[in-house]
Amino acid sequence: MKRRVVITGLGLVSPQGDTPDQVFDALMAGHSAVTRLDQGGATQAALIAPAPFDAARWFTRLQLPGVDRVSQLAVAAAQMAQNDAGLAKLDEDTGVYVGTGMGGASAIEKAFNTHQESGRVPPLTVPAFMPNAAAAHVAMRAKIHGPVLTYSIACASAAVAISEAAKAVARGDLECAIAGGSEALLVPSVIRAWQALQTLANPNSDDPSRGCRPFSADRSGLVLGEGAAFLVLEPLDTAIQRGARIYAELAGSGVSCDAVHLTKPDAAGQVRALRAALRDSSLEPSDIGYCNAHGTATIVGDVVESEALQMVWGHDLDQLAVSSTKSMHGHLLGAAGALEAAITTMAVWRQQLPPNMHTSAQDPACAIRLITEPGTAASGLRAAISNSFAFGGTNAVLVFRQIN
Amino acid sequence: MNTLEELKQLIHQSFDIDPATLTPEGLLSDYGLDSLALGELLFSVEDHFDLTLPDARTDIKSLEGLAALIDELKAQKAT
Repeated sequence: MKRRVVITGLGLVSPQGDTPDQVFDALMAGHSAVTRLDQGGATQAALIAPAPFDAARWFTRLQLPGVDRVSQLAVAAAQMAQNDAGLAKLDEDTGVYVGTGMGGASAIEKAFNTHQESGRVPPLTVPAFMPNAAAAHVAMRAKIHGPVLTYSIACASAAVAISEAAKAVARGDLECAIAGGSEALLVPSVIRAWQALQTLANPNSDDPSRGCRPFSADRSGLVLGEGAAFLVLEPLDTAIQRGARIYAELAGSGVSCDAVHLTKPDAAGQVRALRAALRDSSLEPSDIGYCNAHGTATIVGDVVESEALQMVWGHDLDQLAVSSTKSMHGHLLGAAGALEAAITTMAVWRQQLPPNMHTSAQDPACAIRLITEPGTAASGLRAAISNSFAFGGTNAVLVFRQIN
Repeated sequence: MNTLEELKQLIHQSFDIDPATLTPEGLLSDYGLDSLALGELLFSVEDHFDLTLPDARTDIKSLEGLAALIDELKAQKAT
């Protein structure tokens, strides 16, 4: 018998801030955190969404050697999630599930730079950049002795981590999981690598904050963001017994792979993940009131996602409110699924729909019901989904249900 | 500034440890430097003093031991 799994804690370090209500309020108001980074010289400028973060709040200088920014953000967000859930102590019946696309980008860049300049590479480069460092630091900080796992599946990393964690709690393997993701790759060489891939939004608009325009006819690409987000997952019965605040139920998830192309999305693969998620949650398309879209604002991706939603929702598509909050916080890549899971949880908890900003004219090829106005209430929102579709073809869909 | 004082400043800059609390005979581990922080410090020492520390030296556990080793290597370099 599968146990029902609920979300009792949220922790974030995001471009919009680091408390769930503050972040959700900013998104509801349509506040974009996207700014223009001018690196000077021959390098093209880029739009980015950095996360304000004070490492000194979480680490002494003695604790920082070998701790990349990606791990720093993870430790802070996971600690805030645990505090938010009101859990004083976690132990071997708790698991840590972390998604990250790249791991310690700052450490890698520094190593390559110093290697070229002097041949001397900092001694803690490897433990700083290894992809599982963030999860290990979260476990060490909270003294969690259960499974501590890392999922690296590009832009689906955190969504898959949350899906796997929820399954472990539902099966009874664990009594609690801290699940989410972290990404911190806003360093020059990585930004340049993304520029080289020709996927980034045009940085030369009049208003950089409006540079990310998912599903808009004039969209020009994605905006790189950074941050970390974690959810505390527990069985419903335990949460009720201890009188925890329950934000929402994590009703189910679906994961699939396109197995078609490394970077080009595929509607059929996305449809498989969407249907699997609905089946796993015992919900029908018409039960879902809101979709936090993957919606990266690339020319190809937004159309394919719209097609996939159309194929699953059919005539009910006009009942499904859709927004890509990436329009405001950018694309957190390996952490995107975690931040957007937190936002979708808040949407269900607060019965409000965050907007899809900066759509001057909706692309007719994206025939979905976009929420373009800030401050949209949604009383009666029973269930919502969050989509994460990755390079490599992996698709992950999480389903959130209101707890009465 | 002698080597010991320079070392204290380096530790202060790297880890925010008050130089006044650092004593010559104090062990670096007693100031909270674990093996990772020590590795980071020795890398900074090599950069700062422009020298290469030998592997497997046990006398770098204390501040004065490390300072003496630095002086020894500086003297070797000068000759």
